[in-house]
Amino acid sequence: MVKNKKFKGAQMKIQQMAFMLIAITLFFVLVGIFFIVIKVSELKGKASALEEENAMLLVTKLANSPEFSCGESFGTGKVNCVDADKMMILRENIDRYLNFWQVSNIEIRKIYPRADKEIICTLGNYPDCNIIRLMDKEITMEHSNFVSLCRKDFSDGEIHDKCEIAKLMISYENK
Amino acid sequence: MAGRIASKNGFLEISFAWLFALIVGAVILFLAIYTTTKVVKTEQTTIDAETAKRIGILLNPLETEFETGKTTSIILPSETKIYNGCNNIGIFGRQLIRISQKSFGKWTETDIDVGFSNKYLFSEEYAEGKKFYLFSKPFNFPFKVSDVIYLTSSLRKYCFMSAPEKIEEEISLLKQDNILLNECPDSENAVKVCFTSGGTCDIKINYGAKYVEKGGKIMHFSDDALMYGAIFADSEVYECQLKRLMQRVEQLSLLYKDKTILASKTGCGSAIKSDLLAFSNMAKNFESSANLDSISATAESINEKNEGSSQCRLW
Repeated sequence: MVKNKKFKGAQMKIQQMAFMLIAITLFFVLVGIFFIVIKVSELKGKASALEEENAMLLVTKLANSPEFSCGESFGTGKVNCVDADKMMILRENIDRYLNFWQVSNIEIRKIYPRADKEIICTLGNYPDCNIIRLMDKEITMEHSNFVSLCRKDFSDGEIHDKCEIAKLMISYENK
Repeated sequence: MAGRIASKNGFLEISFAWLFALIVGAVILFLAIYTTTKVVKTEQTTIDAETAKRIGILLNPLETEFETGKTTSIILPSETKIYNGCNNIGIFGRQLIRISQKSFGKWTETDIDVGFSNKYLFSEEYAEGKKFYLFSKPFNFPFKVSDVIYLTSSLRKYCFMSAPEKIEEEISLLKQDNILLNECPDSENAVKVCFTSGGTCDIKINYGAKYVEKGGKIMHFSDDALMYGAIFADSEVYECQLKRLMQRVEQLSLLYKDKTILASKTGCGSAIKSDLLAFSNMAKNFESSANLDSISATAESINEKNEGSSQCRLW
């Protein structure tokens, strides 16, 4: 009888301890999950901030990178001058440059002379268009810079340089 | 009594509750210490990766416009090693930056490399210190290919001895504290760069024959941008970055070749179209700086042809 009572008491204690163990484990698992969620969101925030910083610093210099810059094609060297022909060719070969600048899209929009409607440039309608979009993505979060967009033009029997004011835009992904 | 731990006979008698508390307590303590250590390590790795990415981003403003060179410095909060890695995988290869920082007197170990396709960093295998100098120069071959960036620690002093006037002028304009002209401190961190033969020099430059001799290895260059690269970088880094630059030359040549199609619509001829295709193939097959001479000659001839077509220059 005494033995049976002792046995039941011990069983009870083992049960209590098992429940206690489960409770402690659950508590730590929940704390762990909470911690991981906070850390992951912090990390995503930092990654987005870095993406934005990259886009912001890149947009001021991108026009001078060799894939875009006018070089000396239009007389003497020009700062913040984008060669429209080169950008069109780049657009056709953009699969080779994917992730090269680590941005989600690059676009250039002519802003002066002002056009009545927005026409995205293709090799078929170029140069009678006003938006050169390198990647098939909408510009969402963006940073921009004013540049001159130049190309060669043939009129009155001679070749001359034609430069227009444009906005170079860089889009980055929010993580 | 439940809490009693010694029996009448003197034997140690621990009740189950005590034993359980001790074991569970030890397990919890162990897990807490283990988790804290892991969290600290992960945090450190995150900081290292973030710093590497930030350094890469800070290289963006070093893109030159029409200036011949640009310099800036970065100061990090703790002692840092910036590892410079490079590979030629893919169309453009990758610039890899890895950071290790001193934390509680120990260097952190991380295997996270942050990669960039549009950066060309010339430095030793790693640069160590708190303050680093970054100096960039455009590399033209014959069109602008990219800006090459030279990374040095402020602890390392480079002494340029008997440099040509053009180089001396450029260095004095840079005003970079760790590059000295015709003087050298007696320190193991001083690197003597000589432009004349003879004397004890760490780096010897034959400016006429266009090669740099460093650590028993020869690195050929075509212009001053590459010469600085050979001075500040290890030969492995130099050769790898040069190959990456040639990968970009290959792609840019194709871009200019295709540009001739659009240019022809406005009445511009495409006299150098085939030259550009051949040049692109040469760049594709580039192996090492020893091949630089032949490809440089082609670059020069293409440049002459481009300059000759005054109204229809491609670059």
